[in-house]
Amino acid sequence: MATLNEKKTCSERMENFRRFVWNPETKLFMGRTLINWVWISLYYLAFYVVMSGLFALSIYCLMRTVNPYEPDYQDQLKSPGVTLRPDVYGDRGLQIYYNVSDNKTWEGLVTTLQTFLTAYTPAAQHLNINCTSDTYFFQDAFDGPNKTKLSCKFTSDMLQNCSGITDPTFGFPEGNPCFIIKMNRVSTSSREACSLLYKQGDEPRLLEVDYYPVNGTFNLHYFPYYGKKSQPSYSNPLVAVKFLNITRNVEHRIVCKVIGAGITFDNVHDPYEGKVEFKFKIED
Amino acid sequence: MASFSKMIPQQALVIRDGEKKELPADQLVVGDVVEIKGGDKIPADIRLIFAQGCKVDNSSLTGESEPQSRSCDFTHENPLETRNIAFYSTTCVEGTATGIVINTGDRTIIGRIASLTSGVGNEKTPIAIEIEHFVYLVAGVAVSIGVLFFIISVSMRYKILDSIIFLIGIIVANVPEGLLATVTVSLSLTAKRMAKKNCLVKNLEAVETLGSTSIICSDKTGTLTQNRMTVAHLWFDNQIYSADTSEDQTTQPFDQSSPSWTALSKIVTLCNRAEFRPGQENLPIMKRVVVGDASETALLKFAEVILGDVMNIRAQKKKVAEIPFNSTNKFQLSIHETDDPNDKRFLLVMKGAPERILERCSTIMINGKEEPLDSEKAEAFQTAYMELGGMGERVLGFCHLYLPENEFPDTYLFDTDSMNFPTSNLCFVGLLSMIDPPRSTVPDAVSKCRSAGIKVIMVTGDHPITAKAIAKSVGIISATSETVEDIAKRLNIPVEQVNRREATAAVVNGMELKDMSSQQLDEILCNHSEIVFARTSPQQKLIIVEGCQRQGAVVAVTGDGVNDSPALKKADIGIAMGIAGSDAAKNAADMVLLDDNFASIVTGVEEGRLIFDNLKKTIAYTLTKNIAELCPFLIYIITSIPLPIGTITILFIDLGTDIIPSVALAYEKAESDIMNRRPRNKRKDRLVNEQLAVYSYLQIGIMQSVGAFVTYFTVYAEQGFLPSTLLGVRVNWENNAINDFEDSYGQEWTKYQRTYLQWTGYTAFFVSITIQQVADLIIRKTRRNSIFQQGLFRNKVVWVGIFSQIGIALILTYGLGHVTALNFTPLRFQYWFVAVPFAILIWVYDEVRKLFIRRYPGSWWDKNMYY
Repeated sequence: MATLNEKKTCSERMENFRRFVWNPETKLFMGRTLINWVWISLYYLAFYVVMSGLFALSIYCLMRTVNPYEPDYQDQLKSPGVTLRPDVYGDRGLQIYYNVSDNKTWEGLVTTLQTFLTAYTPAAQHLNINCTSDTYFFQDAFDGPNKTKLSCKFTSDMLQNCSGITDPTFGFPEGNPCFIIKMNRVSTSSREACSLLYKQGDEPRLLEVDYYPVNGTFNLHYFPYYGKKSQPSYSNPLVAVKFLNITRNVEHRIVCKVIGAGITFDNVHDPYEGKVEFKFKIED
Repeated sequence: MASFSKMIPQQALVIRDGEKKELPADQLVVGDVVEIKGGDKIPADIRLIFAQGCKVDNSSLTGESEPQSRSCDFTHENPLETRNIAFYSTTCVEGTATGIVINTGDRTIIGRIASLTSGVGNEKTPIAIEIEHFVYLVAGVAVSIGVLFFIISVSMRYKILDSIIFLIGIIVANVPEGLLATVTVSLSLTAKRMAKKNCLVKNLEAVETLGSTSIICSDKTGTLTQNRMTVAHLWFDNQIYSADTSEDQTTQPFDQSSPSWTALSKIVTLCNRAEFRPGQENLPIMKRVVVGDASETALLKFAEVILGDVMNIRAQKKKVAEIPFNSTNKFQLSIHETDDPNDKRFLLVMKGAPERILERCSTIMINGKEEPLDSEKAEAFQTAYMELGGMGERVLGFCHLYLPENEFPDTYLFDTDSMNFPTSNLCFVGLLSMIDPPRSTVPDAVSKCRSAGIKVIMVTGDHPITAKAIAKSVGIISATSETVEDIAKRLNIPVEQVNRREATAAVVNGMELKDMSSQQLDEILCNHSEIVFARTSPQQKLIIVEGCQRQGAVVAVTGDGVNDSPALKKADIGIAMGIAGSDAAKNAADMVLLDDNFASIVTGVEEGRLIFDNLKKTIAYTLTKNIAELCPFLIYIITSIPLPIGTITILFIDLGTDIIPSVALAYEKAESDIMNRRPRNKRKDRLVNEQLAVYSYLQIGIMQSVGAFVTYFTVYAEQGFLPSTLLGVRVNWENNAINDFEDSYGQEWTKYQRTYLQWTGYTAFFVSITIQQVADLIIRKTRRNSIFQQGLFRNKVVWVGIFSQIGIALILTYGLGHVTALNFTPLRFQYWFVAVPFAILIWVYDEVRKLFIRRYPGSWWDKNMYY
């Protein structure tokens, strides 16, 4: 290695570097003989092969120890997140603004909802069973096909006026838009997750809304969720909200909270845990 | 140069226009005639035109402690040698003189020394060069990897801004932020440790310089020697006896039964004007303060040791007349009553230059009997005189005479001016020779330096013969080696015919040095392993130091006088004497030996080498985890997994957990043979060499990364994201608009939940690096020896480091785990142990490495794996 403490001209440095790369007198290439390079490369090759092997072995052991059905821990998923469709994010979270008279502003929103609901057509849900009980649907055995568990059917027609069947525009052109609230799947076998939709506005007066299904509840028979491997055809239950008589040209700030055992919505850092906050404005 | 300005004399007595005037010394001009008297400081360099008993103390200039007599005679070509020049800033001790100013101010000898001292620039210390080299290396690695991955990320269609952030992240991961603190702390720790051993380090970096020293140029007086005349040999009854010259003598072992010794001891006791200062009865004799010149002091102490209370003996033998020593007579004489009441004779005792004393004698005392001084006995005297003189010792002759009672009755009045008593036909009793003996610790220290591969060169203003004698007695010239002159003498051939290669030792006179070209000096420095430079001027000391530095050596210079200060400054490390040293020397030096003990230098060398080794270990320790901090970024960019470790977390490792452990390595004890290997070659043995960087980066660092990644994947897998799911998720993972991100189990995550998991990943990665750094710390304790040879618990501070490391990690994860800004989360406890097998692997691998290095020295393994 060239000594760096002495002042050298650029050409001297280049010459030194050239000499370092290939020294014809000592036959050193980058400070080593070629055979030495071969040896050191072989050593490192072997070293890295062993290290890769150790890494692979560790990951293999890890995969053997993790539970294939449910995660070992849910430290971050104590309370499920809640999301909204259509989901248009502005600078500060969900912002849904549209103009009734300009159908370009709401066509995208309608498409989002339609696309989202394609997973809830009867065809998409044909693997799931009809549930009627209003209690938790606990399953200890694997009763479904291919060692899976059964999931309850949720079809879009349960959303009635907001199903997109009767009104394919979801009430957007009329100024009475539908929003769909979805609670995130969280795998747990013991969660008491009775849920109910509730809304709260900035304004003191309550907005006039219709919930579908009625009362805005997630039926208990959709819970608990046993994980992807157990319930491959599971789909989240939904609640649709239809806003009625909305004051136009005013920004409304809405918070939808999921009320239920084991669900918290007071995490100051996470605006989507146990609740969903959004703003919307309908313009003329 | 405040200490130089303090030396300026205030006033000078000048004869101008035929009038005597008091003038400030700075108004003197060349050609002025000045008068000086005892006690004055010489106001300029002057050539004497009249001198009467004038003596000057040149110690500040040449280091010679004896006052030198000055006269009007031109005695030598060399201005420093000749008698008729007195130098600016020296002191006139006694007598008076008149002289013509020949040089003033900066052109005086001392002025030139001052300008030499301030003119010698401060060179970079070796450790500074090494650290600079290390910085280049790290910067090179950081920038090249950063740029490489910038290009990769741009070509992988990352946004330019993202790519720049990656670039910065990579560079931050590579910068050893804590190193500066560690280096400073190690240096100050060593400095503190050395201060306890009476080495005061003025310039912190000098500590290491001492360790890489390959040549020590040592001054003689005060450094190698005790700076105190001591009786070394005696000659009486035709036989030479040696005296004890150690620092704390309490008895003298030679044969004291001869009546000749009784007679000699009487002369030594009585013919001496030196006296102990009163009130020192409780002090050891050697430490007592004496009023009198150096030789008389030596004789007084010598007599006190053997005979006991000299002052009492003198009081019993009342002095009736005395002629003090002067340079014309070259003898000192006194006449005493005896303490035997029956013996009414007076005793005349005399001492002085041996040949002058012998001239005045007609008989010689052999075994207490006076025998005529025939040519055979005179021959024996000459042989003894030559022998003692050849040992570089100052020889004094002693004689006495009992004055016959009938001629000199009780009442006889002695008159020293008319000398109404005999001063010839005396009885010669013996010779005493004195030398400034070497310190008792020096021979051992010199041999330690030898075995540490350090060449010790003596550079002195003293006479070649004295210098050589001292060099021989301390081992600078070993017993078996010969100079060219010695060989010539042994083979009885002229000096020119001697093969210079055969001589391992060389004694070079300042006069010869003056005529030498730098090639000739290089030749001497190269070809002789044992060199003594005598009669050197300050300028020549500088030339010698430069010559040594031309050989690529790291030169340490020890010295005490003003004359040494340019060389002290020029040296890679200047070492001044704390007690004997002048302020100028201490100012110019990097280190001060508070106890003036040369042996402290050996301690310093050991500490310096230790610090270099320990810095190497520290850097190796620090570099290792850089890879474990860098790999996550690279893998993140290439495979788009969630970021495994954040920049803030990296900073917490670099400036948090890692600081105390890396400082702890500064407390590590020497491995072994630290003083039995050659000093490092400053061109080849770098602080951070290829092996160190490669072993740390590409082996241990990779192991750490693997261990940390296993922890990372374990955390993600157990929380829901199996490794296969993680690949390629980066864009969606980091998207704020996705709040139902699906994991391997079908669960859906909000952005914050994912971010929190990402922080848990950071924490897990951080904890794994910390755990593996514990193993890294333990393996870095040694470079060659097994940990068990070194002792796992000998360095307690390393354990403080380990506990602090784990403690800080615990506080960060559990104490500050809820502070979101720091990106730490309270980690599940079992994740602390995921990396433990890898930590053990690191330790075992390194033990195997060290085992092979010890087993197969010089092998391919040794060359590639030893850093």
